[in-house]
Amino acid sequence: MLQKQREASSFEIEMELDKLSSLPGHVIDQILSQLPIKDAVRTSVLSRKWRYRWAKIPHLVFDNQCVPVPSQDQTSGKNKLIHIIDHVLLLHNGPIQKFKLSHRDLIGISDVDRWILYLSRSTIKEFVLEIWKGQRYKLPSCLFSFENLIHLELFNCLLKPPSTFKGFRSLKSLDLQHVTLAQDAFENLISSCPLLEKLTLMNFDGFTHLKIDSPNLQFFDIGGVFEYISFENTFQLTLVSVGLYANRSDGDMFLEAIKWHRFFTNLPHVRRLEIQCHFLKYLATGGAPRMLPKPCSDLNYLSMRINFNDWEENSAALCILSSSPNLLELELLARAEEHNAVEKVTYSWVEDHYKCHLEHLRLVKIAGISGIRSELDFIRFLLLYSPLLERMTIKPASLDGGWDLMKELLRFRRASVQAEIVYLDP
Amino acid sequence: MSEADMAVIKPEMMKSYIWLQTADGLIQQVEQEVAMFCPMICQEVIQKGVGSSKNYAISLPQRVNPAMLSLILDYCRFHQVPGRSNKERKSFDEKFIRMDTKRLCELTSAADSLQLKPLVDLTSRALARIIEGKTPEEIREIFHLPDDLTEEEKLEPLKNTTDDPRIRLLNRLYAKKRKELKEREKLKNAGIGEEHVDDRSVDDLLSFINGDSKMTKASKNKKKNRRRKGQEKNAFLTESMETDKMETNGLNSVGLDVEHGIDCQASPSESSKLQDMEEDILARKVEFDDGDMDDEIDPALKEKIDREVEDFARILKIDWPERMQEILSLGQERRPVHSSLNGSSSLRK
Repeated sequence: MLQKQREASSFEIEMELDKLSSLPGHVIDQILSQLPIKDAVRTSVLSRKWRYRWAKIPHLVFDNQCVPVPSQDQTSGKNKLIHIIDHVLLLHNGPIQKFKLSHRDLIGISDVDRWILYLSRSTIKEFVLEIWKGQRYKLPSCLFSFENLIHLELFNCLLKPPSTFKGFRSLKSLDLQHVTLAQDAFENLISSCPLLEKLTLMNFDGFTHLKIDSPNLQFFDIGGVFEYISFENTFQLTLVSVGLYANRSDGDMFLEAIKWHRFFTNLPHVRRLEIQCHFLKYLATGGAPRMLPKPCSDLNYLSMRINFNDWEENSAALCILSSSPNLLELELLARAEEHNAVEKVTYSWVEDHYKCHLEHLRLVKIAGISGIRSELDFIRFLLLYSPLLERMTIKPASLDGGWDLMKELLRFRRASVQAEIVYLDP
Repeated sequence: MSEADMAVIKPEMMKSYIWLQTADGLIQQVEQEVAMFCPMICQEVIQKGVGSSKNYAISLPQRVNPAMLSLILDYCRFHQVPGRSNKERKSFDEKFIRMDTKRLCELTSAADSLQLKPLVDLTSRALARIIEGKTPEEIREIFHLPDDLTEEEKLEPLKNTTDDPRIRLLNRLYAKKRKELKEREKLKNAGIGEEHVDDRSVDDLLSFINGDSKMTKASKNKKKNRRRKGQEKNAFLTESMETDKMETNGLNSVGLDVEHGIDCQASPSESSKLQDMEEDILARKVEFDDGDMDDEIDPALKEKIDREVEDFARILKIDWPERMQEILSLGQERRPVHSSLNGSSSLRK
């Protein structure tokens, strides 16, 4: 009798002390979701209440942490991983909202098909799949029936949507890197995801024409090889970063000034623009207008990778600068060209053509320069036309000619009284 | 809460204090901007118009006691100031959550009831950090969780690095029995086409769930015959044990398996097709075949283990698939005659 009483009161004390288990369900979900899957599943041996608690967590992340580094070969690590994922999925009980699979040993296995099929039966909202090595993984068609998908991230995959694919109605964020996708499939994908806000494309193949028709798109980041880029109906786009990885020589279909139109016309509200690798060359080839038809009045930050030796690129850069009255921050990165097919610019163009007023420019960063004439001209130009400049940092590519460069810089007149020119070591 | 809302309220709320009442009846007044940082309080003020005086104090949810309220208000007081840098906020947060776990749990609960999501995020992350990497015993101790799972429930036959020899024994026994049963099954089903496939997939699942990953085939018949005595009856019972696990306890096996993993030898085959897997699973770890096993088993202990396993079988009999029932009946028939079997005869009747 006494024993029972003692047991009862100790039970009550336990209940009193155990604050963790009595937290609301969604809070426990949150705590468990922040544990690596291994630790989350281990909670099943803690106590009766916790036995199946882990099975309800809506986020499942399988990454390099979840399988202990195998001392043996990769195959056993891979098998263990398959084993673990099968277990967890089978025993999971409840909706899965986020699934991430990114493990270095996960190569060339068709188990992923099975898991995607399983997920297609739940209301998954975020799906991340990264195949670290090996051939592009061909995604099964059931992936395209993830109706509730909000975020999709794929690395090293091959997408072949079925003909019945009507798009991801709720998709807001798409991140495709090292993917293969046919041209029409790509266009269809973009246009059939009406809520798309964020698009990242890196190192893609299978499509070369980028016709971006996406009314809600706000963030656009691409890096790859393409032949054509145009924006249509993208009035919400505020952050654009374009990197063209291939140096296409003249004679291609670039020689149209119309590409300026295609690119800038439908970016009226762009706030942050990055022009990387060879994209400026792409824009510049064939000539650049003096100014854009409509100024980029919202543009606050501009970063350009430019070959100062190329007269066309210089004028392209100046075109954009002239059309950005509200620019606050500018970054210029010199592109080192192995061979210069273009004539070296030897005359000073600063006073000749351009008078643009960068009324709000505060910060300028220039890197990778070597002290050639056109670079110095550019710097002089910037200093002359930025009355509110606070700071300009210059970082040369190498130590050669450093002193000469500095001597020139000292001489330049500055429109801004407070401008600070900081010379950084290479 | 929008500017417009604030504008509407302002003329009515001349004071800049909000009155709050905790569940124990204690009433206190708090600066408006601090209190309004909590969405729940904000909602009460706007939608119900309470909180403007002592008589109309906002009743806070029960989970918010005065101590927790004071902590929460400290948090709000710091964060509601707009000018702070991210670094400052982070540094404050780090210092703020330094408290014992009991208070941390209470704080999480209180913050959640006030719908203060940033604080809930902060505290839940802190709790996750505490749980991460610790053993179950440690976690139980820290959070005062009752240790109310039975031994069987806790220990699925996977934890082969535990110190308890009984558990290791148990693991090996179960594995051996499973193996025997499969062998018997396979021999039995040699002629049957379809059923064989069905059967194997069930076995497949069982072993699969119990964590037998790829294993190399090993020849075992000779050694096994030695142990047949007194073990057939357990063979099917082992299967029952596994079915139980399949239905309810697989979790533990996952947990423990994931925790340290079995040392398996890599399968030469990389194919993930179900067929290949089945073949692999039929094989056994070489470890299980060591002759030492017999010597280690204390007969009395073995009897006890057998009895425990039998109990399980009885409980689970109802839920089994038909096939298992057949096997069960097979085993039962054999039970009284185990003493007559010797080392050389086959397992079949």
